[in-house]
Amino acid sequence: MSVDIAGLKLANPMMTASGTCGYSTEYADFVDLRRLGAFVTKSITREPRAGNDYSRVVETRAGMLNAIGLANIGLDAFLAEKVPQLEKLGAPVFVNVAGTSVDDYVAVAEQLEQVPVVRGIELNISCPNVKAGGLQFGTDPEQVRHVTAAVRGACRRNVLIVKLSPNVTDIAATAAAAVEAGADALSLINTFTAMAIDVEKRRPVLANATGGLSGPAIRPVAVYMVHRVYTQVTRDANVPIIGIGGIQYARDALEFILAGATGLAVGTALFADPTCLHSIPEGLADYCRRHGFRRLTELVGSLQTA
Amino acid sequence: MTRQASSRGVYLAEVAANERLCSDHFVLRLPVEGFPPSQPGQFVQLQCRRPVEREGVRVADWPEGRPPQLTQPELTGIEPLLRRPFSLAGHSQSGQTAELEIIYRAVGTGTRWLATVSAGDYLSVLGPLGNGFGVSDHKPLAVLVGGGVGIPPLLYQAERLSAAGKQTVALLGAGRADLLPVRTTGDVPAEPEPTGCVPRLAEIGVGSVIATDDGSVGFAGFVGETFERLLDAGEWPADQLVVYSCGPEAMMRAVGDLCVDRGVECRLAMERHMACGMGTCQSCIVKIRDDNPAGWSYKLCCTDGPVFDAADIVWK
Repeated sequence: MSVDIAGLKLANPMMTASGTCGYSTEYADFVDLRRLGAFVTKSITREPRAGNDYSRVVETRAGMLNAIGLANIGLDAFLAEKVPQLEKLGAPVFVNVAGTSVDDYVAVAEQLEQVPVVRGIELNISCPNVKAGGLQFGTDPEQVRHVTAAVRGACRRNVLIVKLSPNVTDIAATAAAAVEAGADALSLINTFTAMAIDVEKRRPVLANATGGLSGPAIRPVAVYMVHRVYTQVTRDANVPIIGIGGIQYARDALEFILAGATGLAVGTALFADPTCLHSIPEGLADYCRRHGFRRLTELVGSLQTA
Repeated sequence: MTRQASSRGVYLAEVAANERLCSDHFVLRLPVEGFPPSQPGQFVQLQCRRPVEREGVRVADWPEGRPPQLTQPELTGIEPLLRRPFSLAGHSQSGQTAELEIIYRAVGTGTRWLATVSAGDYLSVLGPLGNGFGVSDHKPLAVLVGGGVGIPPLLYQAERLSAAGKQTVALLGAGRADLLPVRTTGDVPAEPEPTGCVPRLAEIGVGSVIATDDGSVGFAGFVGETFERLLDAGEWPADQLVVYSCGPEAMMRAVGDLCVDRGVECRLAMERHMACGMGTCQSCIVKIRDDNPAGWSYKLCCTDGPVFDAADIVWK
């Protein structure tokens, strides 16, 4: 079940999707976090952020919208309070990093170089770039290239993962920009910008008006995007993909693997049942046994389209 | 990181009973083997759909040599994805099995589905979650102020208060008689005077006052008014009393403000939409006073609450 993410060997492909698993031990009573391939933290920013007003989430059909506003305790408190817990976690840690300027990302990445338990950084580029008039970093290949290259310089020890936004015309373009700028791995996809309306009040349900759509509803699109990025960009570049988007069951995870994902991150499903972090790898192992595969990696990108 | 022998977790439970209590409320009895001790004010997250383990959607359960049954996991997606939080209305222990009592109002997709569940069906229970009301050591008097679907956790708290020897009165309100999630006797007084009109509470020595907005049973008016009248009557010295309240936010705010004004300790069980209940989704925020420059910070209803001190809450 082991997988290789840019030279870092993980015991299995299972990861937590940023923002759905807290900072460290929130799920420790419900699942054995040591069984994770890697733990991915919620987004950390240079300064603490209170986040958006209530209401922040709403369930939609087969999915949910969230607009948390990157609420987090900030880098200093993360290093002081959460890193000691992460050191006892028993799984490699990837820290998801968010920012509103290239400097923000670089500053956080530099500090995380000094934290041994942290083995990688996942760039959340679905954030507005204040200097670029609030346009999201992740929607423009040139901005993706710029921020990835800048953080690449700060990531000498840590694996650099770039988390791609699906809110683009062609995700292969932003994927190629990230890979060319030195990303070690890509994770995809982040949430879709979406809106739910309370028709009685004629107002958006969320205080932020828009939110990110996640959950089973987005899975087929996520599988397609993984397949497109795999065939157009990463297969030849030999860059691993971490597949994210509506994974609940082992069969969902298998779709991502067949489409080209090496790693898997579970997000929204954790809210409903964190024990899927156990049941999914059990299902994957069973699938490999039944189909005679000795290693899960043999399945990566093995989709037959002819 | 070591999991205790009896810790909070995800449990599969076979429903013992699920019965209608009034026009909208149901009482669910759920024996859960290995469920840990709980406190009144704590809650559980119920999956409002059939547990997947029983649907054969895990890869491990696929029939040998046959393709997966695509319809099942695809279609379960249109059932509620997220769990729904429910406060505990009671918890009785028999050996290793906890019988949880949950009183809920069927109002949305999840709770309407829950109302269709029968004895013998299975439910996935996650919990216990959050912090309980607690019982004040040194104050001998307790008043429970509950509105509508906020009443159930107070029934459980009444048991604890009674067992701790507290002199307890319950003030219970609803929009109208058939929305009251607790059974009453035939003789409910129209004046706010505690009587044995709620048998379940009378049995444990707790007197009750019933109020309905439309006056269809008990006092005609808001339950908060009955609290103010009884407080004004002067039988409850402020420094001897703790108020425990759960219900609509406007009701809790009125009760909380009155308590703060009169110097009465008041603990409120807040309600928020929540995705996880475990402190990860960050959706169930409550503004709580803080000594930071802003004067407040967000706390999570699920892990910091749901019970908060009324004096700490920054209302909208």
